[in-house]
Amino acid sequence: MEELIIASETAQYIVIRLGQEQYGIDIRYIDNIVRMQHITRVPKLAAYLKGVINLRGEVIPIMSLRLKMGLPADEESKAARIIIVKLEQYGTIGMIVDEVREVVTLDMDTQVEKMAYDKEDKNNFIQGVGKYEGGLISLLDLNVVAQEK
Amino acid sequence: MDVSQYLEIFLDETTEHLQNLNTQILELEQDSENMDTINEIFRAAHSLKGMAGTMGYKRMQNLTHDMENVFSEVRNGSIKVKANMIDILFQCLDALEEYTTNIRESGDEGTNDNEPLIKMLGDILNKKAAGESDAKTETAAKSADDGDGRKWLEINLNSTDKMVIGEAQKQGKMVYGVTVSIQENCLLKAARAFLVFKAVEELGEIIVSNPSAQDIEDERFELDFSLIMITEADVDKVTAAISNVSEIESVLAESIDLSVMQLDEESREAEEHKENMRKEAEKSETGTAVAPAATQVQPAAQTAPAPAANAKQPAAAKQSGGKPVVNRTVRVDIEKLDVLMNLVSELIIAKNSLVAASEATMAQNSGTAQSGINEQIEYLESVTTNLHESVMKVRMVPIESVVNKFPRMIRDLTKKLNKKMELYMSGEETELDRTVVDEIGDPLMHLLRNSADHGLESAEVRAQRGKPEVGSIWLDAYQDGNNVVIEVRDDGNGIDTESVKRKAIERGQITPEQALNMSEKEIIDLLFLPSFSTAEKVTDVSGRGVGLDVVKSKIEALSGEVEVKSRLGEGSTWIIRLPLTLAIIQALMVEVGGEKYAISLGSIQTIEDVMPEDIKLVQNKEVIHLRGSVIPLIRLDKELDVTSTRAPEENLTVIIVKKGDKTAGFVVDELQGQQEIVIKSMGKYIDNKCKLISGATILGDGEVALILDANALI
Repeated sequence: MEELIIASETAQYIVIRLGQEQYGIDIRYIDNIVRMQHITRVPKLAAYLKGVINLRGEVIPIMSLRLKMGLPADEESKAARIIIVKLEQYGTIGMIVDEVREVVTLDMDTQVEKMAYDKEDKNNFIQGVGKYEGGLISLLDLNVVAQEK
Repeated sequence: MDVSQYLEIFLDETTEHLQNLNTQILELEQDSENMDTINEIFRAAHSLKGMAGTMGYKRMQNLTHDMENVFSEVRNGSIKVKANMIDILFQCLDALEEYTTNIRESGDEGTNDNEPLIKMLGDILNKKAAGESDAKTETAAKSADDGDGRKWLEINLNSTDKMVIGEAQKQGKMVYGVTVSIQENCLLKAARAFLVFKAVEELGEIIVSNPSAQDIEDERFELDFSLIMITEADVDKVTAAISNVSEIESVLAESIDLSVMQLDEESREAEEHKENMRKEAEKSETGTAVAPAATQVQPAAQTAPAPAANAKQPAAAKQSGGKPVVNRTVRVDIEKLDVLMNLVSELIIAKNSLVAASEATMAQNSGTAQSGINEQIEYLESVTTNLHESVMKVRMVPIESVVNKFPRMIRDLTKKLNKKMELYMSGEETELDRTVVDEIGDPLMHLLRNSADHGLESAEVRAQRGKPEVGSIWLDAYQDGNNVVIEVRDDGNGIDTESVKRKAIERGQITPEQALNMSEKEIIDLLFLPSFSTAEKVTDVSGRGVGLDVVKSKIEALSGEVEVKSRLGEGSTWIIRLPLTLAIIQALMVEVGGEKYAISLGSIQTIEDVMPEDIKLVQNKEVIHLRGSVIPLIRLDKELDVTSTRAPEENLTVIIVKKGDKTAGFVVDELQGQQEIVIKSMGKYIDNKCKLISGATILGDGEVALILDANALI
């Protein structure tokens, strides 16, 4: 006999590193993760918009998560990746991160602490904090990240 | 019957027919005697009726049926075309359009019976009936129809058939001759005939048919067939049963009298002929002027209608000979074409990479094998270019389909605005990408309405100015290089810049100080601001201030541009310039500050080598003197925020770019040559964020290059 298991609500996040901090990106938004490559600069854009790349015949805009979040400019490193995310409102965007670490499954009830969401504060990109193996992961709200200031 | 799968075709064709009717009725208004036009109208109305009937849209069918009746009488010459009749017909077309829109949106024709219209059509018909002078032609037509319709009289009966019929009549059964006409546009005649046969067989027995059952099954018959049947049912029941089959034009059933039927035996017929001749001869000999009908033998009387009918048929065929030969076309979903286009784009990118790769290897080794590869690549290049062109051409449609509705619109405006005006169109055959054609209708309509309402003066003013009473509006389309130009021109008042200025100040869009310094062009550009209107009063036609800004944004969305030329008191011209193709263009690749950019070849005039000392300053802006004209210089490195790789004392490479009537020189570092590029969006996130860039493209080596928007730079 099969038993019906009612799973508690879980979500998978990709853990990335930006500077010294760990962030989580909801895996449902992620289309692809590619290595750093040459980015064609597009003039007259905000500094965090680095330009565009060619991803298998599609032109994709790239933003620097560091600059967008007010951190110092990206460091040239082999670990750097571009995470391609698909957002309903903004289309496909590539986000540069320092490093991609792992995929984690978080139990939304026990392992995630939701942040009081302040819609007015456009600098608050964090939708919650996940606790995983002793470390803390800030869970990014991509729709807020992509929002223009 | 499930007809939903035909809905698309039905809608397409209905729209075509309605457009055709609009055009033809307009023509009829000009030349009410033109038989070709009347025939064409009749045909279109007839097809419409048939299609609506097949699809089960009863209201639409009723209306078109009555319209067809009117046209039919016009064709017979028993009704003369009058102005009010044209008006009613146009109202009918509007009603039909409404049905079509309803069907398109909800699959249902709606509940508007349009009774007033049907009544008006009925009045037209009745008026004709009242016109006694016409009565004669009508009855003549009717009798001809009778002869025409009773084709079962032509059925040859052999002796067995006759015996069977005789037997049946003895048993008190009824024997009917039936002639069924199928609608002209019916696609599956054999199937319809089969259904008729089935319906008849449910009621009785078919003795004989003409053509034979086999021929009918093989569809070897024209639009009608006849049969003789034995049944116990009455004639109305038979007619009703047959009429129930769809796409049946008419049913004629009558009980028959054996004695009037033709006999099979040729000898008999020959005999009759002989007899006829003899009698004729006798008559002429005796010279007695007896009424021929009385003396003529019956068979002769019966054969008479048949040749008459035969004679009529070729005549009808001749009439429809004017119909244009149907093009051999296939309807293709535009999305399928988009996919094809995308594939072609990919192919071109792949080809470009191949070119790049071959050039790279060529630099390394100069072997003889290389020339072979080059040849193949060149071949590939020409094939892809041709392929691209053909796919583009498939997507091209004449703007005719859009501009065709304008004469009708102007006619309506003439009545509504109470101004006399005439629309002259040229270049309707000019072709544009299907997606552009679909979008261009509204902007053009706005401009035409604008010309009609604001542009053309009232009759009194025109008289004062010595202009002809009837205002003229021109719509000209033509191809100009890689662009298609559509001009809307009128001989009206032109744009009153003073009044535009006043309005703008009133609305607080500019300050009086600003107004003083504005050039004429800048003032005219104010017209394109949202919610700007100079009309003193809001009318049904325009003046609500929506329009010109919509026109501008719509056309810019199609990567086109709008320009206005105007002379106060003489008229104004609106010029719309649209790119021929949207997806793939020929471009000049340039380098600025180490970055690659593409400039559309269509906008480039020449490329000049300019010495630094030739640069002059006018109003603190750099210009060069080139063959008599002063051209402002735009340093792309500054515009694009990069540092030029050239030293200031070096000569400058200047690309002379022309957009509309504006010219400028772009200063670039290096020229990289001409290339066919596929225009790609930069992604939803940053598209339109940089005004200077109109898109991106992928180069042979996989790099992305940006396409400069010459328009924005100038």
